[in-house]
Amino acid sequence: MRDARYRYRSALVIAVLVAIGCGGGKPQDADATTEPRAEPERPKQLAQAAAEPPPAAAGTGASIRGAIRFQGAAPSPEKIKMDADPVCQQQHQGAFYGEEVVVNSNGTLKNVFVYVKEGLQGAFPAPTTPVALDQHGCWYRPHVFGIQVNQPLEIVNSDATLHNVNVKPASNQPFNIAQPVKGMKTTKKFAKPESMVKFKCNVHPWMSAYAGVLEHPFFSVSGEDGSFAITGLPAGSYTLEAWHERYGTQTQTVSIAEGETKQADFAFKAP
Amino acid sequence: MWFVGFLVGMAGLSAAAAERPAPDLREGAAAYAQSCARCHGPQGRGDGIDATRFFPRPRDLTLGVYKFRSTASGTPPTDEDLFQTITGGLPGSNMPDWQHLEERARWQLVEYLKSLSPIFDQTPPSPVQVASDPGPQRADHARGKVLYEQLGCAACHGAQGRANGPSAAGLVDDWGMPIRPANLTQGWSYRGGYDPRSVMLRVLTGIDGAGMPSYAEALSPEDAWHLAYYVASLQEEPHWNLIAHASYVEGALPAAWDDVRWRTAESTTVRLRNAVNVSGEWVGPPTINAVSFHVMSNGEAAAFRVSWDDPTQELRETSDAFALILKPAGAEGDVVTLQAWPSAGAPRLDLCYWSARTQQVSEGLAGDYDSVMASKASQVLRAATASYGEGRWHLVFQRPLAPGSPSGAAVLPVDGFTSVAFAVWDGGQPHARAVSPWVDVVLNKGRQAGGTRH
Repeated sequence: MRDARYRYRSALVIAVLVAIGCGGGKPQDADATTEPRAEPERPKQLAQAAAEPPPAAAGTGASIRGAIRFQGAAPSPEKIKMDADPVCQQQHQGAFYGEEVVVNSNGTLKNVFVYVKEGLQGAFPAPTTPVALDQHGCWYRPHVFGIQVNQPLEIVNSDATLHNVNVKPASNQPFNIAQPVKGMKTTKKFAKPESMVKFKCNVHPWMSAYAGVLEHPFFSVSGEDGSFAITGLPAGSYTLEAWHERYGTQTQTVSIAEGETKQADFAFKAP
Repeated sequence: MWFVGFLVGMAGLSAAAAERPAPDLREGAAAYAQSCARCHGPQGRGDGIDATRFFPRPRDLTLGVYKFRSTASGTPPTDEDLFQTITGGLPGSNMPDWQHLEERARWQLVEYLKSLSPIFDQTPPSPVQVASDPGPQRADHARGKVLYEQLGCAACHGAQGRANGPSAAGLVDDWGMPIRPANLTQGWSYRGGYDPRSVMLRVLTGIDGAGMPSYAEALSPEDAWHLAYYVASLQEEPHWNLIAHASYVEGALPAAWDDVRWRTAESTTVRLRNAVNVSGEWVGPPTINAVSFHVMSNGEAAAFRVSWDDPTQELRETSDAFALILKPAGAEGDVVTLQAWPSAGAPRLDLCYWSARTQQVSEGLAGDYDSVMASKASQVLRAATASYGEGRWHLVFQRPLAPGSPSGAAVLPVDGFTSVAFAVWDGGQPHARAVSPWVDVVLNKGRQAGGTRH
C-alpha cells in the first residue's frame, strides 16, 4: 500500500514536470531518476494466473470441469459509446462491445464465475501473488475474476485519463479512489468473503467489473470456450455455484474422490 | 507561521470538545425526533415526509455513508466531522445549520447518529494525512492549475469549473440516482464548504456515496493545498443584493453582453430553485443554480443583461430557454409565489420569454408558461442578443419602461420599485424549470446607482 503510494507520487511528479516542461528537460530526464518508471509493465499474466486456481499440491487432488451452456436467443451485444472521453475512444478501432452477456461461438457463456460455495474444510492461506485488475482502453480487464480473502489486488490505470475505482461491497470496506495518471497502481485487499463485489468508474459509467472474494482458491471463470476447471480439490462433497452478471446464480452438488475428475455443466437460459 | 494557525485551529476544536457531555442516547434520540426526523425519517432511513422532493435527498443515516469527512474513503467520519456538519449545515442543500441548538444537544445527536449504523463499531475513522496550510500567499497557483488539469478534475467539473465536463451529465450516486458535480465557480453551492481547507479535505477524502473519489493516493498532502487554493480561485463572488439598482445611461442602451458599459452597472445574483414535476418529485438534479443580472436604463427603456451557467448548449426543439417575469400593470403586492405558479386561478404574469432555438425575446401576458412558450399568447418581440460559451449563457434584451403593447404589460417606474423574477429551462431537462423569488429593482433617473459595481 505504502509502496504503491510513493511509486505513484513519483509518477505524478514526473508527469507534472513533463507537463509543465520544468527546466526544459526532456521526458527522458525523468527516466534518469532512480524512481520507478511512470509506466509499468502491464501484469496481464497475473490476472490470468489468478483467474485459474493454483495447481494441485504434489499432483494429487480432484478436479471439477465443465462447460457453461447458453440456451435461447443471445441478446445483441451492447455497443459501448465512449465519445464522452476522446482518450477512451481513440483506443478502439471501430465498434466496441460490452461484456455483460458474451455468448461464445460454440454456444457457451463467457464470464461466469464458478466456485465452491460449500463443503470445504480447513484454511487456505492467501497467496502473496497479487491479482491484477487493469483499466485499459477504458475497460476493466478482466471483467470477472476471483480473488482470495487478504490476497493483494493490484489495480492499475493503463490509460492516459482519469479513472476512479468505486467499490461498494456489502461485507468489506468500501472505497472510491482516483487514479488520474497513466501508470498509477493501488493495492487493496478484501478482508471478508463476498460474492460478488462490483467495481465501477463514475467518470466512465460504462465500466464495471466483478470480483468473487473467497476464503479458498477453488474457483474459475468461463472463458472464450465457455469451459471452467477447478483443480486441486480435496476429496469431498461440494456445492458449486455458477454466477452470471445478468442471469443470476445456479448451484449443483458434486461428490468427488481423491484424484477423480468430474464433469459438471451448467446451463443459463435467456428469459 | 503555520504552527500558530494550527494552534489557533486546534484551540477552537478543543474548546468544543471540552464541553462534550457524557453520551446519552435518549437525549440524542429526543433531539433527533425534534430536529432531524422530518427529513431523515423516524428511523433515520432518509425517508422523511418531503424526502422525494429534495435534491440532494436526505441521507439514509443507517447506511453509515457520510460525504463530508476528514477520513479516508470508506471509513466513517470522526465525531468532530459529524458535529461540524450538524453545526454548519450543508450549504447548497436543504440541510440547514443547527447552531441554535445547544452544543450539548448537538453532541448527543452525534452519539445518536453513530448508533444508527454498525460502521461506527466495525471500522475506526482513519483521518487522512493533512499538511499545514501554506496560506494564500505561499499557495502555488500555477501548480494548482497544473494539478487540476493533470488529475482530471475537468472530466466532471469542466475546464473552468462550471460543472460542464464531458462526464458530468452521466454521473450517478452509489444508489443510482443522477447527480451533478459541483459548479466550482459557485463557492456558495459547495456543500462541504468553500474555504481552501474544506476543499483540500474533499480532494483527499473524496465524497463517499457520490462520484467524487479520494485523491489521497494520487497527490501529496502539500499538493492538495495548492489544488484547493486554485479551486478557490475559480469561485466568482456572488452579489446577493436585496435591492438591485439599475444604472442610468444617456442615449442608446447596450445591445451586446460584452459592452464595456455593463462593467459600471451593479451585478445582482439570484439563486434559483428547481421546480418539481407534476407528481411533486425532482425530475433530475438541478443544473442551473443561479442567474446574475444587470439593468441599465435611459429613462425610456431598460436593457437587461442576464447570465447563467448551463453545462450544455441545447438549440433543438426543447432548447435552453429563459423568462424575465414582471408583474402586469396594475398588479399590487405579492401577486403570486413563483414556486407555485402556474396553478389553478393563478393571475396572469408578464413574461419576456427567450428560447435558444428562436434566439428571440417575445413579451406576452399569460396564466402559464406553456402558452407563452407555444406563442399562444399575444406577444411582442423585443431586441435581443445571446451568446453561449464555456458553460455559460449571456442574454441581453431591451424593453420600453412603459410599453404600449402587449395590453397590460408591466410598467417599470423611474425612481420607484419594480419586481422581477427569472425562470430558466435547461434544454437537456425540459421539464426541470428553475425559478427565482421576486427581486426588487430600482430604476434611478439621471444618476448612477450606488453600491458594488461589476
